[in-house]
Amino acid sequence: MMYPGKLQNIIELFETLPEVERRETLVNYAESAPKQEPRPNEKFDLEDVRKDEECADKVGVYLHVDENGRAHLRMTLGPEVQTLTRAMTSILCKGLDGATPQEILDLPSDFVTRIVGAELVRVRSQTTYYVLTRIKGVCKVYLDRQRAKVA
Amino acid sequence: MTTNPTDYAHPEALVETDWLEQHLDDKDLRIVESNEDILLYDTGHIPGAVHIDWRSDLQDAVVRDYIDPEKFAELCSRNGIGPETTCVFYGDKANWWACYALWAFRLFGHKNVKILNGGRDKWKAENRPMTREVPKFPRANYPVPNERRDKEIRAFADEALAQSREKKPLIDVRSPGEFKGEITHMAEYPQEGVLRGGHIPGAKSVPWKMATKEDSTFKPASELAKIYLEQCGIKPGTDTIVYCRIGERSSHTWFVLTYLLGLDNVRNYDGSWTEWGNKVGAPIEKSA
Repeated sequence: MMYPGKLQNIIELFETLPEVERRETLVNYAESAPKQEPRPNEKFDLEDVRKDEECADKVGVYLHVDENGRAHLRMTLGPEVQTLTRAMTSILCKGLDGATPQEILDLPSDFVTRIVGAELVRVRSQTTYYVLTRIKGVCKVYLDRQRAKVA
Repeated sequence: MTTNPTDYAHPEALVETDWLEQHLDDKDLRIVESNEDILLYDTGHIPGAVHIDWRSDLQDAVVRDYIDPEKFAELCSRNGIGPETTCVFYGDKANWWACYALWAFRLFGHKNVKILNGGRDKWKAENRPMTREVPKFPRANYPVPNERRDKEIRAFADEALAQSREKKPLIDVRSPGEFKGEITHMAEYPQEGVLRGGHIPGAKSVPWKMATKEDSTFKPASELAKIYLEQCGIKPGTDTIVYCRIGERSSHTWFVLTYLLGLDNVRNYDGSWTEWGNKVGAPIEKSA
């Protein structure tokens, strides 16, 4: 399975890293999560900000689809969100930038363990998948609305 | 070692942030961070703190059980912990996993154990020093403990069942919704694979959080005594079993009962609800 180009590059990068560097890189991604927040005057097609039971704090997903049908994501995270979830936020915002909403929706989740490593995906770190689920949720709503317009 | 009102039964089991900052370089002391957030230590920690992970370091990789005495000795030795080293545990989530690690150390008979009152959140909130530097300590030579003290401070499912049938104290420290069987996971957490909701028959609900203040420090002994001895009815000397979902929140309550209130005979049922709620034929009570 080939993933959107930017995500593929990130996956390949992580697969070459020894465990210590993998953790360091994840922490670096986690620390850059605030850079994925919406910027002043940015406009979005969809905004989905909520606190779900399965995540420790509020997470916001903002989707803009440009004139070429390419998705651009921004996200906000509450202070209680775990480090791994923060890392996945950065990775997915960067990795999925420029993919179409349908490509994002079709994305299998098996790449998560290739990035994070099996050791870190376990009980009490399952929210690693949460960010991907939320992004897909926004893309699905966007596509449903587009289809409704056409119909 | 504590600046709190020292009416706790074992005040030496708690240290305050001020005290720890002044003792960061003590040779006979090892600071141990244990978290739920698996990468939190990597983002920064108390200078000199080693990281002990509840899963990869303390649990067997295959069987749902703790490591054996040989592996515990190796864990300590590689972290520069000798049998006389004082270990100060701290972590996220109001010290859930710090208490869990402390309890696991006690399983192997390590005597000098303490909790940093308020844990990682309080240390950070007070803008105390943090570093990303992973400390290196000379390897210690920790003798292999003779045994794991499962019989003394750990309970298994059949013992929890006997406790229930004999109407001895069983304390369910989960949230009220979990206790009532309305939900099968903690709020803010994903489902962790439990088929049935409710509680062990006869268990009393005393959520772990009852023992802490807003800043995650422990309540004074007088308040703890009111909660656990007066309201919950635990009598000193009586066998008591505490449980939650996987044994971490109940480690927190085990610490409170054992060290802050000085109760003997308190055991942690670490199989907890992820075992009981899946166990074929295990009796379950649901209540308002």
